[in-house]
Amino acid sequence: MIELRDVRKHFRTGSGKTEILRGVNLTVEQGEYVAIMGKSGSGKSTMLNLLGTLDVVDSGAYELAGKKVHKMRKGRRARLRNEEIGFVFQHFQLIANLSVYQNVLLPLTYGRKRLRRKRSRVLELLDEMGILDKKNQKPDRLSGGEKQRVAIARALVNEPSVILADEPTGSLDEETTESILSLFDRVHKKGATIIVITHDMEVAERADRILRLQNGVLV
Amino acid sequence: MKLLKAFKLACFGLWSNRFRVLSAMMGVVIGMFAVIVLTAIAIGVKDTLMKQMGSLGAEQILVLPGRVLDTANGQKDLLSGLTSVPSTLTYDDAKAVEGVPNVKSVTPQLETITIAKYDDKKVQSSLVGTTDQYSRIQHAELLEGRFFTKEEQAAKAKVIVLGNNIHDALLGKQENPVENGEGSSETGQPKPLWKRVLDKLLGESASAEEKSLVGKTVTIKEESYEVIGVLAPNATLGSSTDNNIVLPIETALAMSDMKNLTKMIVEASSLDMVDQVDGEIFKAIKANHSEIDFSVVKQDQMLGALGKVTSILQMMLFGITVTALLISGTGIMNVMVMSVRERTREIGIRKALGASTFEVMAQFFFETLLLCLIGGAVGIGLGYAFAEAWNSNIEIFSLVLPMWAVKLALYTSFGIGSLFGIYPALKAARMNPSKALRFE
Repeated sequence: MIELRDVRKHFRTGSGKTEILRGVNLTVEQGEYVAIMGKSGSGKSTMLNLLGTLDVVDSGAYELAGKKVHKMRKGRRARLRNEEIGFVFQHFQLIANLSVYQNVLLPLTYGRKRLRRKRSRVLELLDEMGILDKKNQKPDRLSGGEKQRVAIARALVNEPSVILADEPTGSLDEETTESILSLFDRVHKKGATIIVITHDMEVAERADRILRLQNGVLV
Repeated sequence: MKLLKAFKLACFGLWSNRFRVLSAMMGVVIGMFAVIVLTAIAIGVKDTLMKQMGSLGAEQILVLPGRVLDTANGQKDLLSGLTSVPSTLTYDDAKAVEGVPNVKSVTPQLETITIAKYDDKKVQSSLVGTTDQYSRIQHAELLEGRFFTKEEQAAKAKVIVLGNNIHDALLGKQENPVENGEGSSETGQPKPLWKRVLDKLLGESASAEEKSLVGKTVTIKEESYEVIGVLAPNATLGSSTDNNIVLPIETALAMSDMKNLTKMIVEASSLDMVDQVDGEIFKAIKANHSEIDFSVVKQDQMLGALGKVTSILQMMLFGITVTALLISGTGIMNVMVMSVRERTREIGIRKALGASTFEVMAQFFFETLLLCLIGGAVGIGLGYAFAEAWNSNIEIFSLVLPMWAVKLALYTSFGIGSLFGIYPALKAARMNPSKALRFE
């Protein structure tokens, strides 16, 4: 379960400080599929960074899988990120000089889980994503849809409790968008918690619940 | 475990960026190559000089014109040099020394610059008047012919032994004879290094006619001398015989301008007698002189002075080496900082996927360290190959590369990698993942 309580976040700018999140409260149950919508600059990305433990809250509380994230140090946050969170980014964020296989393997490299079947786990996921034949290719040889499938496989490889997706179809055409969303549906049906940040209504409608971020609070 | 993982990631990181790594490595390769070559030169020069001085034998004592100043602690200050005074040492002094008990041999030498002529060739050379002991004392081996005898010396025989360069120049094998033109100042200098190497590679002056001057007559100061021998090349630092024409001292003394000795090499009957003989030689010569205008120097004193000179040379090379290493280290650091900047997004991704600050830092630190170690090993290998190539082609002195120098170079590579790897590694580790992911 994910729980945010009165979370605030501000950034320093040239003229002073800008408050992005002004007391956000959110509860996402295990296995839930939630979409967070909002205009550009509404704080969607900040929200994702906080949920993904890439950034820390200024005040308020954040609990993930029963752990108090807001009290954690960097090292423990990194471990939590590795074990409990899978990221899917708009621009895929694949490492260019690693092959598809190596990109998907990466979270297992940093993990403490002693998976005996690392290789077969990666191959299994690539097969599930329909890109097994691309396993030795570098990302620059793949289409946008294929890249996003690699990113999803990478997000799932460590069996995280939550998938955070930031505009996952933002760089894809209509047909590919549909196939990626179908993939999310499949993953969700298997029991994964998914939080999608998007401004695309079509993407948001696939979720169980749609939340809007306005003036730094969720409505 | 984390370190091992970071090490593996660093290896993989280097392999993935191998083309960039190669260019970054060049700095270390060149730096280490310079370290190895400069060290080999420093040790080689020192060894060669020491060997040459040592080859004179510890039981040998030099008598030189001029006075070596004494230092405050009573030692002879050879570094400050001999006072520049004209030589007052004479052949009579040498004869007086011969009479000193426990003296095995005395080899006086007097030298002057002269022009030797053969056919239409004129060569400027160093004319050395000495005794039949010269070839033994100077380790001057004969290439052909023979050295003059004691009898020829006593009979003031007009016989000469040619140094290798002079022989070749008089035969026209070298391009350094004094041409017919008046006032020409070309001398019988040894061939330049590059020419020797070229000759070695191409096969010594293929066009030159192969013949010998042994048995032929060479003119010196309008007098004719029979060539009875040719010395083997003796490309030693400082005391090469290649440009000498050696003749009996009695013959040389008959020449109007050859009177005073340039030096005298005295051999004691045994090593134990050196100190005693040293004092006796001084007394024997002093008896012929009104003032102390000569010096008696033992081998250990010469070696000590030489040691100081080579130590200064080594310090200088050490300074150059440290500078080269600092430059290459700074270069590596800059390349790694650039690499960290270029890989900002990659660092962001790694952190997003769970890499800890320590893991990112260790990965980049190991990358720099490995880069330096591999570059260092390549540089050492190239330096070793250079030393080998030098030693098999160039005779003037050998490059010496002891194992400690190789180990030192490797440790230095490790040190540079460690020192200059810290900053880029910290820079990578401290990146904020959310900002790094947005990096364009």
